[in-house]
Amino acid sequence: MKKYVCSICGYIYDESSGYPEGDISPGTVWADVPSSFVCPLCGASKSEFEEQDSPQTASASESSNLPDDISYSAAQLSAIFSNLAKGSEKQYKPEMSALYTELANYYNLKSEKVNNPDFLSLRNLLQTDISSHFALANEVARKNHDRGALRALKWVEAVSRMISSHLKKAESGSADFLKETNVYVCDICGFIYVGDEKPEICPVCKVPGFKMTQVRRSA
Amino acid sequence: MHAVRNIRLCTKDCLCLYVCPTGATDTETGQIDAETCINGCRLCVDACPSHAISLVPEVFPAQQETSVDVKKALNLLSESKTRQELTAFALAQESDDPLMKQMAQAIGMSNRIMAEDLLREAGFMLPQSDSVKELLHAISAENKENDFPNETVNKLIQLLNNNHEEKTMSKTTDNLMEAFAGESQANRKYLAFAKKAEQEGHLNAAKLFKAASDAETIHALKHFEVAGKIGSTIENLKSGVEGETHEYKEMYPPFVEQAEAEGNKAAVRTFTFAMKAEEVHAGLYQEAMDNLDSQEEVFYYLCPVCGNIEKFVPEKCSICGVPGEKFIKY
Repeated sequence: MKKYVCSICGYIYDESSGYPEGDISPGTVWADVPSSFVCPLCGASKSEFEEQDSPQTASASESSNLPDDISYSAAQLSAIFSNLAKGSEKQYKPEMSALYTELANYYNLKSEKVNNPDFLSLRNLLQTDISSHFALANEVARKNHDRGALRALKWVEAVSRMISSHLKKAESGSADFLKETNVYVCDICGFIYVGDEKPEICPVCKVPGFKMTQVRRSA
Repeated sequence: MHAVRNIRLCTKDCLCLYVCPTGATDTETGQIDAETCINGCRLCVDACPSHAISLVPEVFPAQQETSVDVKKALNLLSESKTRQELTAFALAQESDDPLMKQMAQAIGMSNRIMAEDLLREAGFMLPQSDSVKELLHAISAENKENDFPNETVNKLIQLLNNNHEEKTMSKTTDNLMEAFAGESQANRKYLAFAKKAEQEGHLNAAKLFKAASDAETIHALKHFEVAGKIGSTIENLKSGVEGETHEYKEMYPPFVEQAEAEGNKAAVRTFTFAMKAEEVHAGLYQEAMDNLDSQEEVFYYLCPVCGNIEKFVPEKCSICGVPGEKFIKY
């Protein structure tokens, strides 16, 4: 009997135990698990699962190279400052937090406008992250023994793959899979959870569910 | 460090109100009053049954260095994430389909959080760090636009500089405490030397040692005062309890064990006496804290051999066995 791991949150489907809560009896081999099966923790589709201990299929860096120098766009500056505002808030420094928020808002307004946005360009950007940026960044972080960067990359990659999976479901131009349920975004790692209720903990970063924000549907 | 309350965890058991010496925990805002909270007191932290109170540091250590390559790699990714954020929010605005709109909105929010996390790890974790300060100076120097919020940036730079001054002061505080330790040791050392000189009949040398010993006391007291380590009596009693408790619980037991292993009987004896006496001292400090406002006069009796302190003259010392008549009254 084999085991299959959810590539997004790490949940393990064990063929010998099945998933009785979802009417999949013990001993059900992976091939016989219905294609409608989703990860009980994070909601990822069956196709996001990989056989445990199977050789990594992750592409070696198809290589984008490191840029020569570092510069920050207005949108990046906005993200730097909005994050520092959160950091100040956690230090109980409301004045400092408000000042950083002002800067974040200023750079938000200065951010490049996207004309004629489309889902295809969104998917392409995400695909470049998944096929090359992560491999490169992980390699560099490992080489420099940067534990914090590796942690962030692990979360961001899981969140990105889930977004990719959502976008795939909506490829036809409609997102019917959201119709009868709710959407939540984790305040800490950005994971998008689709489900009737907030999970007890975020499947990716494990923060308690109350740290997830519901995204309402406009009428 | 002053105390802060995590409102989500607070179950309103109100033990913090019972123990707070200044009433700082009793506010209508849900938060503890930083102005009246006693620096580092932590009575409320320890008393809270739901662990809702913690001490927030005033000064943070310097951020760890992030390598340039890691910064570059994370920059590449965060650039892509902010681009996706902008695209998704634009889609959310333009889309007519409520479900696609909802999904795009969620993707936009998610990308902002990912970009924040990546940039945080790319050297901008701590709001007070040098890298943030450099960034603020850089955007202020580069920006020529009329609507650039100069005042906001300047205020921030000023706030961050204050933090830096506290840091340099804390180095001096460390130096003061090191000097305090050295001078305190010198005081006891010269006193021991003076005693020896007296025994040997070198009275002039004994006098000099005593005078020098007093001089070191003057230095030590001043250093300690300037370091800001003298609080109110209740704070000082608490510090006494902590110091003595540390000594009898953590410091002396391994010392005794080591001395026993080395067969150094005299060291075993002096360590054991001190360890037992410190435990008594901790109890007395605690008692004094509890009865600080009592008007009743109390007398203390010190054992001149082992340093035990009693509140009455015992028949003999409970630690070293010296007869009660040797005790010194305070």
